[in-house]
Amino acid sequence: MSSDHGWSPGRRGGLALAAVAVAAALVLLVVVLRAQVSAPEPQQAGRVDTPGDSSGGRHRTHGPTAQTAPPLGPSKPVHLSIPAIGVDTPVFPIGLASDGTLAVPQPGPRLDTAAWFENSPTPGQPGPSIIEGHVDSVDGPSVFLRLGAIKPGDRVVVDRADGRTLTFEVNAVRDFLKSEFPTQLVYGGDQLSEPTLRLITCSDFDASIQHHVGNEVVFAHLVHTSGPSGPASS
Amino acid sequence: MQKALRVIAPLAAIAAPLAFAASPATAATGTSYQATLNPLNHATGSGMATISLNGSSATITESWTGLAGSFSGAPYPHVQHIHIGAAGACPTTSADKNGDGVVSTTEGAAAYGGIGATLSTSGDTSPAAGTDIKIAPAGSSTDYSRTIQLDAKTLASLKSDTAVIVVHGLDPATLSKKAQGEKSDLVPSLPLAATSPALCGAVHAMPAGGVATGTGSTSGMEDSSLLGLAGGLFVAGAGMALYTVRRKTVKA
Repeated sequence: MSSDHGWSPGRRGGLALAAVAVAAALVLLVVVLRAQVSAPEPQQAGRVDTPGDSSGGRHRTHGPTAQTAPPLGPSKPVHLSIPAIGVDTPVFPIGLASDGTLAVPQPGPRLDTAAWFENSPTPGQPGPSIIEGHVDSVDGPSVFLRLGAIKPGDRVVVDRADGRTLTFEVNAVRDFLKSEFPTQLVYGGDQLSEPTLRLITCSDFDASIQHHVGNEVVFAHLVHTSGPSGPASS
Repeated sequence: MQKALRVIAPLAAIAAPLAFAASPATAATGTSYQATLNPLNHATGSGMATISLNGSSATITESWTGLAGSFSGAPYPHVQHIHIGAAGACPTTSADKNGDGVVSTTEGAAAYGGIGATLSTSGDTSPAAGTDIKIAPAGSSTDYSRTIQLDAKTLASLKSDTAVIVVHGLDPATLSKKAQGEKSDLVPSLPLAATSPALCGAVHAMPAGGVATGTGSTSGMEDSSLLGLAGGLFVAGAGMALYTVRRKTVKA
């Protein structure tokens, strides 16, 4: 305090400390922001009806593979991979929740794995087989974080308990409001003879209510089967 | 400082609890049902059926493939029904009481019950048409779509999760010698293979509403604790700076 305009060592130290604290805060912020991940928003694309649909003769207008493989008997899915978006996960069966909605993987070892809806056909059987996964969980990003980036033509590979490996091709990506979820289209549809696959996750986060208000649904159809139980059928 | 403010804003958001479940779907009992048809009794094949209910009017959409294709040179008739009033399940091989290797329609009844409606291709859809092979779908595969009226018992069974779709008709060649020689438990003029169940699927309501596959954790900040630390340091640093400068100002 000897000089009006000089900085005492105490003051200088205080300001230096403050500067260090602010600098550290900024560094942490950069770290946090760089670690930030967010789910890509699904882009509506493709046709929901599969190429095998003979009605209307429009099946040449679809993606690169205008064909479907014949259906198989039942065998539960055990593994799912989607190389285009880096998904590689075990698959476990899941049922209905007590309120009649589709149950979802709960906190624990299976929280961030995909789940096959056990009332739906197994992949390869006629009709839509349903596999769901979280886009994010309380732990952060989850198994279907990048499902919004999937595009028609991308391949989805499912391994079944019988040793067969099934390749599905995405034909459509759709984003639905949960309040207007097209139950019949997603779990049934009018092409029950086709072995198809639907991948479901959450979309459209509404920050004002802290919920996802939408569901993204990926529509895919079987194009190839390989494995020990029979000849390749595609 | 505008930018800093924007960065600080999420700090407030952290305080908001991260809700886990999505909005509870309207717990309406679904009017759409589904059944996966799986093979029984050494049958191959597979199928799926959906039922859309509008009052007592039910639109049945069904597709199956891989069953016996012909019988005495003609397309193999496969009678099919909605069975009701029992456990709402498909029988396992343990239901084969007489040990002939075939779960007959009668032996399977403890699991799936009696006939509530016949999924015929035309005409009568009551239990009375249950073994009428003239109006049954025929051949190795079928795409079936028909709107029929369901009676009160069948509707009640659908809603209580005890309806089961059963498609009958086995390839005799796949049966044991003993079973090949047996008569049908339902229609004695037919062989056992003709009326025994080949595909079976418990009917369940389709899931209600959307799916709660997200918490929003990636829509906000992932590293909220780190961010909190950053915020704390920032506030502490700013406070210290202010205090120091103020002390200087007061002294001056």
